[in-house]
Amino acid sequence: MKKLFFFCLALLMGSLSAQAAEIKIGLMAPLTGAYASEGEDMRRVVEFMAEELNKAGGINGAQIRLVIQDDGSDARTAALAAQRLVTDGVAAVIGTYGSAVTEASQNIYNRNGILQVATGSTAIRLSEKSFKLFFRTCPRDDEQGLVAVNTLLRMGYKDVAILHDNTAYAVGLAEETRDGLLKDGKTNLVFYDALQPNERDYNAILTRLRGTNPEVIFYTGYYPEAGMLLRQMREMGWQIPMLGGDAQNNTDLVKIAGVEAASGFYFVSPPMPDDLDSQSAKNFMKAYQAKYNATPRSIWSVIAGDAFSVIVEALRVTGADAQKMGAYLRDNLKDFDGLTGKISFNAKGDRVGDLYRLYRVDDKGNFVLQPK
Amino acid sequence: MLELIQQLTNGLAVGGIYALIALGYTMVYGVLKLINFAHGELFTLGSYLGMSLLVSFALAGRLSPPLAVLVIIVLIIGLSALSGFLLERVAYRPLRQSNRLAAVVSALGASIFLQNAIMLIYGPNYQVYPSQIRLTIAVSLWGLNIPMMRILLFAASVMLMIALYLFINKTKTGTSIRAVATDQGAAKLMGIDVNRVISLVFMIGPGLGGAAGMLLGLYYGQIRYDMGTLYGLKAFTAAIIGGIGNIPGAMLGGILLGVAEAIGAAYISPAWKDAFAFLVLIIILIFRPTGLLGERAADKI
Repeated sequence: MKKLFFFCLALLMGSLSAQAAEIKIGLMAPLTGAYASEGEDMRRVVEFMAEELNKAGGINGAQIRLVIQDDGSDARTAALAAQRLVTDGVAAVIGTYGSAVTEASQNIYNRNGILQVATGSTAIRLSEKSFKLFFRTCPRDDEQGLVAVNTLLRMGYKDVAILHDNTAYAVGLAEETRDGLLKDGKTNLVFYDALQPNERDYNAILTRLRGTNPEVIFYTGYYPEAGMLLRQMREMGWQIPMLGGDAQNNTDLVKIAGVEAASGFYFVSPPMPDDLDSQSAKNFMKAYQAKYNATPRSIWSVIAGDAFSVIVEALRVTGADAQKMGAYLRDNLKDFDGLTGKISFNAKGDRVGDLYRLYRVDDKGNFVLQPK
Repeated sequence: MLELIQQLTNGLAVGGIYALIALGYTMVYGVLKLINFAHGELFTLGSYLGMSLLVSFALAGRLSPPLAVLVIIVLIIGLSALSGFLLERVAYRPLRQSNRLAAVVSALGASIFLQNAIMLIYGPNYQVYPSQIRLTIAVSLWGLNIPMMRILLFAASVMLMIALYLFINKTKTGTSIRAVATDQGAAKLMGIDVNRVISLVFMIGPGLGGAAGMLLGLYYGQIRYDMGTLYGLKAFTAAIIGGIGNIPGAMLGGILLGVAEAIGAAYISPAWKDAFAFLVLIIILIFRPTGLLGERAADKI
């Protein structure tokens, strides 16, 4: 009986909102917690784009209303946030950042038939569950491995050392890269092992690494350890190039390593907001800068903006039916012009196309985008 | 062979840091039979205060860098001693007569309080020592490549340990500390002011710990609010290896632990470094339950 009552209420509210010609889109982002700065930027970017869209007349005459929920970078908070968005009757949800956090909300949206477009969750398993309504505008971890392999091959190194830190993310990237390199057959893997993260002393492992005579080190972990590795390599008087993954795209790396030791360090990462080269992205950055007097601090919030754009596009073409929206995104949306480049989705809902770029640290400690 | 010696120098440098921190645990245990769980946080505090002072004084260019570092280390020893003194007054002295568990809980509370206070003041991110201060040159000897900072770090920790050893064994105050450690009641009857001695121990231990924090910051350049937990745990292990309550034991235990870790990381697997450190502890406790130089069993915490 109670269920029936709520069902009627939901229907009533649904019809009410339809009368007001308003479409609700949910945004789930880490507004508090460890990644609060990412969440804050996501909120700003999506709010800004929604405002612009409403000024331009909305979707087929209907205005957009954002419903924002904080996931706190925490799985339990995210599950609650997802429940609230579902109750609120959103047409689709943007979010969220952390993979484990997104995972906690996936089932809830799937069960309730709500389209979800994740923004920063790169873990492979998220799109291996055959949820028909799950998409992401961010790349997947295995794509990064592929780019790392190509970069190493292009640089022409024969003896490669791979080092990870035993976290799920870093092991995944290390394995992808190792398998890719070995498949090629021209590369020797002289070293493959883990270090202990959150330590300060990597002299022992560096001394051992040095004994294997690699031409290049690929470290797949996070920036604090990468910074220490670079610094201690320099103090040992050992100079070989080092390559890192996107978890090292943080300017604190240069502070930790020191400019001297960091210069010449390479890492693969999605481009930074300032390096986006399409005209639409440049215009967006200019307008965003004018409104907030700052640029987004990382690429992930711009990717959240792209999630908003594809949802709006789907709503425009198919109306607010989640199944139709999903089918449209998967089968019909090709090379959609997003801020971070062309967007298409494959059958799993993952973004197609290479977003990753190669960066190099220059003599002054700046991250410089390398030509493709 | 060269690689082995290289790894040994790594281990000695880290071992020196462990030994300096371990001294704080072992001295407090010696006189009070109490494990000062907040000691690791005092080490972190020394490291952060050192960074603040370096940034505000040394970089202002009033003193030349080597002199500034020396002055600041002395200042840090003083400030850490002061915080140790205050800690004892606030967290331990009021509980001196109550049962031992109350003091242990109070120590854990002080540790959580200090760690969070440091995080709230300096933020949860990694902090970096100014790189202008740090020497990046390395010394080449017989094919070995040893960073100058490593030599200085080891020399500084050995000097501090020698100073402590002489103080404890050759001065009257040192004798009174040893007397209190042996038998508090008898020491009191001999006219020794036990409260004063305990305060003094709570100043010397954190003073050395704070100095270790600053040395660590100078050596690695990167510090974080929660590093006291791991270094505290390792140093505590070192103190037990050497025999808790025994001052030369803490020095020996620290150096041994540092070397064991470095060798384990080099020849077994770097990911097993911590496991190796605790394996050494277990093996030593199986064969010598009182630690290498300990006379009596650590019967209570």
